[in-house]
Formats: sequence, structure tokens, C-alpha cells
Amino acid sequence: MYIFKNSFKSISRNKGRNILIGIIIIVISCACAVTLSILNAANKIVSSYEEKYQIKASIGMNREKLVESFKESSSGEDMINSFNNIESVTKEEIEKYADSKYVSSYYYTYTLNMNSSNLKEATDSLVKETTTTTTRTETFGGGNYPGRPDGNYGGKRSTTTTKKTEEIKNLKAENGAFKLIGYNSYEAMTDFINGSYTITSGEVSSDFESNTCVISEELASLNNIEVGDTITLTSPKDSKITYELTVSGIYKENTEDSDDMTNMFSASVNDIITNSNVIESILALSDDLNAELNPTFILTSSDVVDKFSEEVTGKGLSEYYQVTNNLSEVESATESINNVKTFATTFLIITLIIGGVVLFVINMINIRERKYEIGVLRTIGMSKFKVISEFVIELLVVTIFGLIIGAGIGSLSSVKIANSLLENEIQNSTSNVEKINSNFGGHMFGEGGPQNKINGLVTIEKADSINAVVDIKVLGELLLIGVGLTFISSLASMISIQRFSPLEILRERS
Amino acid sequence: MKKNVILKIDNVSYRYKDAKKDEYTLKNVNYEFELGKTYAIKGKSGTGKTTLLSLISGLENKYEGNIFYKNENLKKINLDKYRNTYIGIIFQSYNLLPHLTALENIMLSMDISNLKGINKKEKALSLMESVGLDKSLANRRVLKLSGGEQQRIAIARSLSYNPDIILADEPTGNLDKETEDEIMKIFENLAKKENKCVIIVTHSKNVSDNVDVVYEMKKS
Ligand SMILES: Nc1ncnc2c1ncn2[C@@H]1O[C@H](COP(=O)(O)OP(=O)(O)O)[C@@H](O)[C@H]1O
Ligand SMILES: [Mg+2]
Repeated sequence: MYIFKNSFKSISRNKGRNILIGIIIIVISCACAVTLSILNAANKIVSSYEEKYQIKASIGMNREKLVESFKESSSGEDMINSFNNIESVTKEEIEKYADSKYVSSYYYTYTLNMNSSNLKEATDSLVKETTTTTTRTETFGGGNYPGRPDGNYGGKRSTTTTKKTEEIKNLKAENGAFKLIGYNSYEAMTDFINGSYTITSGEVSSDFESNTCVISEELASLNNIEVGDTITLTSPKDSKITYELTVSGIYKENTEDSDDMTNMFSASVNDIITNSNVIESILALSDDLNAELNPTFILTSSDVVDKFSEEVTGKGLSEYYQVTNNLSEVESATESINNVKTFATTFLIITLIIGGVVLFVINMINIRERKYEIGVLRTIGMSKFKVISEFVIELLVVTIFGLIIGAGIGSLSSVKIANSLLENEIQNSTSNVEKINSNFGGHMFGEGGPQNKINGLVTIEKADSINAVVDIKVLGELLLIGVGLTFISSLASMISIQRFSPLEILRERS
Repeated sequence: MKKNVILKIDNVSYRYKDAKKDEYTLKNVNYEFELGKTYAIKGKSGTGKTTLLSLISGLENKYEGNIFYKNENLKKINLDKYRNTYIGIIFQSYNLLPHLTALENIMLSMDISNLKGINKKEKALSLMESVGLDKSLANRRVLKLSGGEQQRIAIARSLSYNPDIILADEPTGNLDKETEDEIMKIFENLAKKENKCVIIVTHSKNVSDNVDVVYEMKKS
């Protein structure tokens, strides 16, 4: 079509005018490319944070509610009773709550107190079992005690012997000396993920089914246990109920605070770590055993937290429990990045507004200069539509050129900008993956290793090419901005061409 | 209407929007134009000659009365097509596009009028020759041409799509007498040899003396 031919001729023969528009477009698109890639990088950081610090919901005691109902209880005994009557959350309940579109995955942890027949617990308090007999003799001497209704008079001697047996038993042993903790996935093992615990020998069995466990270093040395040995657990309620576990690994608690000098052993010394399957098997042996069950639901996004709470309440969560979440934790972690995002967005909007206005004005001025051309074209019979098309094509070509150059410059420099912005995240995440693998012992980078099974574990790659920060999304956004800028530019000419009467234009000139 | 009448101005009155209420630039104008004849519209400056030409060329259509081209009312037809096909307009100030060459200016009009099946460049070159322009000027930007040369290109452009009517607004106003004579010769040939209707707005006696019909305009 001759309109295209004309547009190109017009561009090539009015370089000054088009270079000016081109420079404006280059500046705008360069600024936009940088801002968009910063936004993109920031979004990646935020989503990696959200993945790392997944939005988690758990079920905890509703203390307010408890206090409220305890006030109604008349005695302390009532209080304890009503507390004990609160039924703990069951696995069935958890499964019911987890069956929700807001939940992307879930895990749970059992805690069960057990004794052992071949394992001595580590404790720094004495264990005693004593029987004390106290004999008290009361002697009533002769004499009159007035006002005493059933008193004995006249030197009568009576002896009352009170026998009181006091048994100081090991209270721990009654409740179970060992805390058996059963996880159902690597994800649930947050202490190992964050490095509080690390495996020093052996490994955490990866099947989450076998009768294996991991015990503390201190407990192992106290009982002379090595990886591969077997321990026997017994029910604190009935020592005839037993369960055998093979020690697959030995862990160490990495306590950083050395302030705690009062205890001989670390807090977790008697924790035996196993899987949920083991606990369920033990529970099946006796009705007397009660395990505490703590679920964690990983939610699909931060937006669904409230909806999930409502849903769980609707599904019948006891009023003494409530859904808790880690939203504020995650939000505080991403706060600084969100500030960067807000700044970048504001900058982008201001750039676009100022750029748009400048472009519009420049084009208005341009069109004024080109009034004569419009008048001639209209007089020799070119329709308004075709004149507008010709001008729009011109602007489109100039805009696309400017956009490509500007976006190119902007993208190249944004790699550096995004990298410096991401630096901390990159360093943290890469060393994290390596650490976590060794925390679990064995499985170093193996196929079935923890790094592939933990959802929240992500490596942020260093952006070494433009692709890393300027992806399809950024390019699409830039294209959209280009279309917008062309539209603004064209709008100026459309309005003018629509309004100008060729007659007036040509008369003005002559 | 007589057989040869190509253009009829039927009781046309026109008043500019910003003019006072009864201040008409044109008042009850009635003219007829035939093919094969040359016309001069004469009158003092400010009598509305250019205004009338604008109405005839369809650049303005808010007037009282009617203008007919071949019995078709200009108010009812596509004026873009009318301008790029049936009439050729030549302005006093030439109105060529400065960023284009002589040849490109002529060919653009042919493009706009959507001519098909001819070699446009050849036709443009032969038109240039017929209006007395050397082919060596073909690829020169029009700004680098003299007034007479630019006017000839404007004429060549108006002929390029073979319109029935040629409208010229003081085409020789800026030119010397010798060039004026040459251009008048071209117009005469267009009417006599090619059976066009040539309408020339002028205040030059030399021009009005050499046409078939003269319409005199007076201040209304
Ligand atoms: N755009 C306009 N608005 C108002 N009046 C105009 C305009 N253009 C021309 N006129 C007036 O119309 C009259 C005729 O002008 P014009 O047609 O140019 O005369 P001519 O071509 O005969 O010299 C003049 O009095 C002029 O002042
Ligand atoms: Mg005039």
C-alpha cells in the first residue's frame, strides 16, 4: 500500500523530528525496562520468600476461649477436668481440613511419651523411690479442759499412730521418659531444615514408614548405642506393651545460646525422632496411649488465610482450638522488598505519565508543523482515515525503533541492577540447599534426597543473562507500554487531523 | 440542463461561520460549466473567488443552494473520491509536498486516486514533459525548484488522474508574463484537445482575455 511507502519516506526525510520523538521513546522505554525488571526481580524474591517461608496454618489452643470457660468452673478440679476433656485434634480431622482448595500440602507431627526397657534416659534430677513412716504420739495430760464436748478427763492416756507413706517416684517415668516424635515428611522436620538439629552419623530414613529412629548424641553415648542398634520402647501405662525401633542415625542439637548452664543435657536429649507410621503402630497397641498431634497446612497463597480459617471452623473445629498462621512472619520478611516494589511502581507510573504528556505535547507541536502537509493530502483527495493511518504508521515505526533501542539498553543495565538487588538472596539460597542436605545426613544430592522433597526449598539463580530478569512477561509489558505510547502519540495527530479543515489550513498558509 | 454541462452552481449562498449574521461572502451564485471550454472567474480581491472555488472543490459543504457534478449533488457524494478522481485543483501557492520529489508529488496523486493498470512513473514523466518540464528535474525535491516549475508540477499533478474538471486559483499570480502565456496554452490545449472543463480564477486581464467564458464576481 502506498500509505506505508509514504510513511517510510516521511520518516526518512524528516529525521530531525523523528529523532526527537525517538529519543523521548528511548528514554521512557529504557526507564520502563529497568523498572519493570526490578519489579520482576522483586516479585521473584517475594515469591521465593513465600515459597521458603511458606504460608502455613496450624491449629492451636484458643487460650481466650479456655480462660473464658475456666472462669465458669467453680473449682480448680473442675478446671483441670474441663481442660482434660477437650479432645485433641485427630488425624481424620486433619485430613478433612486438608481436603481444601486453599491447601497445597500438609504435614503433621505426633508427640508420644514412652519409656524404654533397654534405654536409660538422660536426666540430671535424682530418681528416688522411698517409703517414709511417721509416727506421731499425742499425749493428753491430766487436768480439766472446759468447753471441750467430748474430752476425756482424768489423766487418761491415748495414743494415735498415723502412718503416712510417701512415694517419690520418678514423675517422668510415669508419663514416659522419652519423647517420641513422629514426622510424616521431610517438610515437617523443621528443626533439621533450619539447622537446629544435624545428623552426625547415619541418616534420617527417607521412607517415613520403617521402624527406625534417630536419637540424640548424648543419649547414644550414655547408652552406648550406635547406628544399627535396636531400642525397645515400652508404654508408660503398661510396661508389657513394647515396640522395637532400629537406630538409623544420631543427631546433635546445635544450641547457640550457652547461657543455659543449669542443665547437664540439651533440652532435646531424650527426644527420639521417628515417623508418623511408627507412632500410629504404637497407638494401635493400646487404648491408653495418647499422642499429641500437630498439623501444619501449607496454604496456596497469603490471600486465602482467612478463607481457610473460616472453612476449618465450618468443618467443625472445636471452639477451644483456633487456626493460627505465620502471615506476619512472612510479611515482615518481605517488607523491604515490598518497599522496593512500591518505589519501582511509583517510579514507573510517574515515568509513564510524564513521558506520555511530553510525547503528547511534542506530537501536538509536530502536527502543527505538519498541518500544511495534512491540508495538501486532504485537498488532493486523501481520506481522513488514510491520513491518520499514515501518521500512525510513522509513529508506530518510530516508537518500535525507540522501544527496541531503549528496552535493549534498559535490559542490559537491569541485569546488573537486579543482580545487586538479589545478591543476598542468591547467596543465602545456594548455601542453604547444601546445608539442608547434610542436616538430614546421607542423601547428599541424591535423587531422592531431601532437596527434592522439600517444597519450600528453592535456589535463586544469579541472573547472568538478560533472560533471567527480562522474561516474556517484561517484554509483554514493554510491548504494551509501546502500544500505549503510540496510542498517545497518535491521539494527538488523530485529534488534529479530525479537526483541521483543509480549507483553513491552506488559507492560513497563503 | 444542457448536455455538455458538467458542473452546475445552483443558487449558492455562503457565509463564513465567524462572519456577522447577514454578511454573506457569496450570495445567490448561479454558474454553469461545460466540458471542452475554458472559464475565467474574475473579480476584485475579496469578492469570494477563492471561497467559491473551495465550495466547487468540495472542501466545504455547509452552504445554501446546491452544486451538481454530472447531475450529482456534491452534498450527497463522497467528496474525497470526487477530489481525487473527477477534479484537479491547482492553487496559487502550488501546495506541493516539500519532502517529496517532483515525480513523487505527481505519483502520490495517482496513488491516492487508486489508478490501476498503468505505469505511473512513465505517465508522470510524460506529464512533466507535456507541461514543459525537463525530465532531469524529476528527482529533485520540489523546494529546490522555481515558482514556475513548481506550478507546472502542480498542473501535472492535477492532470495525473485524468479528471474532467481543472480548477486553478490564480495559477499565474506569482509568475512572469512569459510563463503565464505558456501555462495558459497548456490550459487551452486541455480544453480543446482533451475536452476538459478548465476553470481559472484570476484577476489578470491577460488570462480573462484568453478564455471562452468569463464570470465576473462582485462584492455581495
Ligand atoms: N475563514 C474565513 N473566515 C471569515 N471570513 C473569511 C474567511 N476567509 C475569507 N473570508 C472573507 O471572505 C471574503 C472573500 O474571500 P476570498 O474568497 O479569499 O476572496 P478572493 O479570493 O476573491 O480574494 C473576504 O472578505 C474575506 O475576508
Ligand atoms: Mg483568492
